[in-house]
Amino acid sequence: MRVLIQLRPAPDVVAAVADPDVPTTTADVADDLPGVALDRSFVPVALPRPVPAAGGDPLSLSQATTFSLSAEHASVMLRGEISDDELSTRLSLLPALRSDIVGVHADPVIESSLTCGGDAPVGDWHDVERLMRVGDLRAEGLDGSGVALAVVDTGVNAAHIRQRTGREVTVDAGRSWNPDGVSGRPGEFRVDHGTMCAFDALISAPRASLIDLPVLLSRRPGGSAMDGLLSDAVAAFAHLRTVLAAQPEATRSLVISNSWGSFSPRWDFPVGHPGNYSDNAAHPFNLIVSSLEQAGADVLFAAGNCGRDCRDRRCAYPDRPISGANSHPRVLSVGGVDTSGARVGYSSQGPGRLTPRKPDVCSYTHFSGSWAFGVDQPDSGTSTACPVAAGLVAAIRTRWPASRLSPAQLRALLRRTADERGDLGFDYDYGYGVVNVARVLSSLRRQEARVA
Amino acid sequence: MVLLTVRLPSRATLRQAMRRLGLSDEEVDLGYGLVLIDPGQDLYALRVTEAAVARIDPQADYGLYADPKIEPYGPPA
Repeated sequence: MRVLIQLRPAPDVVAAVADPDVPTTTADVADDLPGVALDRSFVPVALPRPVPAAGGDPLSLSQATTFSLSAEHASVMLRGEISDDELSTRLSLLPALRSDIVGVHADPVIESSLTCGGDAPVGDWHDVERLMRVGDLRAEGLDGSGVALAVVDTGVNAAHIRQRTGREVTVDAGRSWNPDGVSGRPGEFRVDHGTMCAFDALISAPRASLIDLPVLLSRRPGGSAMDGLLSDAVAAFAHLRTVLAAQPEATRSLVISNSWGSFSPRWDFPVGHPGNYSDNAAHPFNLIVSSLEQAGADVLFAAGNCGRDCRDRRCAYPDRPISGANSHPRVLSVGGVDTSGARVGYSSQGPGRLTPRKPDVCSYTHFSGSWAFGVDQPDSGTSTACPVAAGLVAAIRTRWPASRLSPAQLRALLRRTADERGDLGFDYDYGYGVVNVARVLSSLRRQEARVA
Repeated sequence: MVLLTVRLPSRATLRQAMRRLGLSDEEVDLGYGLVLIDPGQDLYALRVTEAAVARIDPQADYGLYADPKIEPYGPPA
């Protein structure tokens, strides 16, 4: 987290900072503050002290007040960054370690306006092709050929994608699966959210084979507050395990894109209950996610649309909205940025509930793409960011099966090569940063050269 | 309904699970069936009514889990 540190150094230092004719630097004020990465490019700023009239309340600004920049009164402000992981500890320790520290304050990012739900598209899917360096991927033979790409969603309409892209779309009907009670054929479902996700996944992996799993169409019997659909995702993942097990181990590759989650704790057992889902790695769905990843599947989840700046009105978690499998340590949790690279205001922020360092990375969303919701409507939500990233993973898998690059190694590669948005490598807004395909390709080339 | 997990022999069937747990057809989501969660641990899942859970013998070594509603993450509402 970026912070502003207010100090009261020796009066001669304060006087120098307050004098516009004397150039001063951060190092003149403080060489080092434990746990704070000081921003050396920031020119220290003198802060005046409010001085009330004689006899006035020294803590009230609701009175006639003057402001003093004298060396005895003023303080100095520096800028730095504290790791999100250490924030609370550092905030309490810093004033104790350094008596000249007067306070540590938040330094929020000021942006003219973040993209929010309902806003017009920012760019189109050809911009995303360019940002994802689809031409470079194709030149390296990374187009998703032979890679199984499972879209766990509302079902896919392949004809719509064909019409929109002018390209052939491969749906693997034999390995697709419907939950009990859902009728419809793979690739022939109504144009909806799942079609958007499939379209977005195919941007970077146009020749991947789609496995259609319309889990979100299921309406299971029950009727109580605990009735729901996560059980259908459990069954879908159990099916995918058989898909994976049927592949030869040497060429195994299965990418699973999940643009869904649970918006509210009221559908769940309370945190601490042994049957809870949101915070419990032992929940059957979280277990089956682990087992699939262990067997060689790449599992990606959308981080969610509960970002502080303009969250979805369905969001009901009071804090830490990245919950359950969306925060699983063995999945890639994907936040959203628009095509300008700025975080969309609805992209959920960490820490995650199963593991704190979430989201892992960000990918692109809120662009004109599939037109699944109308010609003027963007492909939006972290629902879009997740399959865009899944497409990249599927493209990589064309020549890098799980036997050559394990799912954990691939996640580490995407995190390590991401474009950082913070100074310390990880923050709860962007995770490790925005996926950077050029760096991914460079790293794979180096790895290939080492093996050769 | 809730999600129940139970350990059973390899290649178990839903009927075996129902017998182990003492459940009737009306208490189980037959359409959902029996789902293998973890082959290494022979752990299976099935859906049962909440009322039935109260009757299951605690010695049956089962786990009771939430089955929350899930929704698409887009477009943001």
